[in-house]
Amino acid sequence: MSDHGTDFMKQYQAWAQQSWDGWMQSLQGGAPNSFRPVASSPADDLLSRALGGLKGYADWLQAAATSGIVGQAQEDWQQSLRNLFTGGSQPFAQAFAGIDNAAAQGFTQQWQAWLQAMQPHGFGDLPGFGEMPAFGYTRERQMQQQALAEAMRAYTETSAHYQTLILRANAQGFEQLQAKLAQHMEPGRQVESLKALYDLWVDAAEEAYAEIALSDEFREAYGAMVNAQMQVRQLQQQQLEALCRELGMPTRSEVSALGKRLQELRREMRANATAPIVANDEVTTLRAEVAALKRKLADRSAAATVAVKKTASAPLDVDAARVRKSASARRATTGPAARSTTRKRK
Amino acid sequence: MFTPLRIDPAKVLGEITAFQRKLAAGMESLRGLHEPDYANTPREVVYREDKLTIWHFKGTGKPTSKTPLLIVYALVNTVWMTDLQADRSLVRNLLEQGEDVYLIDWGYPDGADRWLTLDDYLNGYLDRCVDVVRERHSLEAINLLGICQGGAFSLCYTAMHPEKVKNLITMVTPVDFHTPDNMLSHWVQGLDVDLFVDTLGNIPAELMNWVYLTLKPVRLNQQKYISLVDIFDNRKELENFLRMERWIFDSPDQAGEAFREFIKDFYQGNKLVKGTLTIGGKPVDLGMVTQPVLNIFAEQDHLVPPDASRVLGKHVGTTDYTQLAFKGGHIGIYVSGRAQREVPPAIHQWLRSRD
Repeated sequence: MSDHGTDFMKQYQAWAQQSWDGWMQSLQGGAPNSFRPVASSPADDLLSRALGGLKGYADWLQAAATSGIVGQAQEDWQQSLRNLFTGGSQPFAQAFAGIDNAAAQGFTQQWQAWLQAMQPHGFGDLPGFGEMPAFGYTRERQMQQQALAEAMRAYTETSAHYQTLILRANAQGFEQLQAKLAQHMEPGRQVESLKALYDLWVDAAEEAYAEIALSDEFREAYGAMVNAQMQVRQLQQQQLEALCRELGMPTRSEVSALGKRLQELRREMRANATAPIVANDEVTTLRAEVAALKRKLADRSAAATVAVKKTASAPLDVDAARVRKSASARRATTGPAARSTTRKRK
Repeated sequence: MFTPLRIDPAKVLGEITAFQRKLAAGMESLRGLHEPDYANTPREVVYREDKLTIWHFKGTGKPTSKTPLLIVYALVNTVWMTDLQADRSLVRNLLEQGEDVYLIDWGYPDGADRWLTLDDYLNGYLDRCVDVVRERHSLEAINLLGICQGGAFSLCYTAMHPEKVKNLITMVTPVDFHTPDNMLSHWVQGLDVDLFVDTLGNIPAELMNWVYLTLKPVRLNQQKYISLVDIFDNRKELENFLRMERWIFDSPDQAGEAFREFIKDFYQGNKLVKGTLTIGGKPVDLGMVTQPVLNIFAEQDHLVPPDASRVLGKHVGTTDYTQLAFKGGHIGIYVSGRAQREVPPAIHQWLRSRD
């Protein structure tokens, strides 16, 4: 770009910096460096998420404006393009930085600080500490510290592998951008603004990232990193809980165990609440059966009485079969009366 | 020789200046802007249990459908995607079509819900919700509309309690969790879920959101906010943007045990399509779903790939299966202009012919 353009950029950068400062002061309630919870209003919440992306893009715009891709002298435009998308101000790393700071990098720093705080004697800093057999009164604590140090090492290693794949995705994204640009060589199809170039790069970067993210290597690296982080957290929790027990404080495990028992009790109560309905059903059924049996018995008794009356001259040792036969024969004739009785009983 | 770049320096300066000017003006636009409300279609509470609420929506007229429709949403994110804003509301459009709409709001689980299992959710909460609506209408069976994970839940529920479901609609519902383009599924295959849940207990919403952002990191973490600059001077668009941001990031934590089971059995084991899934000891056989089924999926869905939903027809036992492919994404199927025109009428027409 011309000197005039360079002067303009200097003035512009100063103005842009003022603009950013204004945003940051707005975010911090007008008092730089003062503590204020993020996301105290929807606008602030949006700002906290959006600012990273916007700042990254603004930095990239400035870098692009002074790079060799702008203007007529574009002999080395490909190298300039490479520097722009894979150099220090490249937007891919910035896009990731926003989420990594919160989720990964921050985690590492947090637990490293914690590890140091938990090591008043600096065991973890001794060379070979992790490989030494533990002994003596503090044996258990030494082993816990060793396990945590080893887990931290594993996390650092797996996290580095993950970052390598992210960088690879960025490199492949740039290659895909070049392939896309090759389709814009003809006049009329050329890219004419930085925003259009950025959007084209986003498409390329996402395609490359998706390709990597769906690879077996990424799956392994991702799983290993998350598992390693969980291992660190779990070991830290165990140590913290031991400390809490010493201080007589309830621990997360204890609260969780109570919650588990409570939920099991709730399930049992629900099961019992439905069980009486089943029992009631059974009782109702049994009652109905008993009533039916009683009716049958009453019918038979009534029939037998009639039979005895009408066959008063019959021998007393008449067998039951004959009585039944006789009764059933009479029931056939006195049936309607008997049925009527049954209905009345009901 | 031509190069693909024809970027004029003067235009570049103008482009950058315009960007910064919009950015500076954006601060003024955002100042004093209140959190935008959701559509808040008139509704009443008809049932509460623990964190759960059943909402009954009220339209301007009486429902014309004989059978009520119960919407079963996912446990991830809040249910208000179905009633986001007045002109982008699935619920409101269904009411206008004549449906009688109920919605299960699962609420925000906390430590007390850590041990809720899928059995508790499906054979407990969901079953009682279905009973509440059935009793209110003195019906043996009602219509279910399951969304995303809620669609998978609705499928499982229908398979376990077929007598209580008259018609089943699934929207952007994962059925086959092992399609090659399913990035979420791909990532969790190497996860030690037991270690994960044992360590975290409930799964924090922020962690879930982080995972979703990393599905398309540049687009969702950077490009989206760069586009925001172009709408700073449009209050209505800005409010729409903020409303969507609210929905995206105002998410519930996930109950630990239910999350463990869902990842192990659905994502890792793919048991729903293998026919080996059991919930609370009860087998879940999709062949038992003999009710009419309408399966709606989005062709550009990056969370639930279309192929993950499309296979449903092969697994359900019904002979009345309808499939609707929507041209849009996982969210667009609820909030895009096309969705308002196409989806609610399609649901209503399909239900009406089976009412």
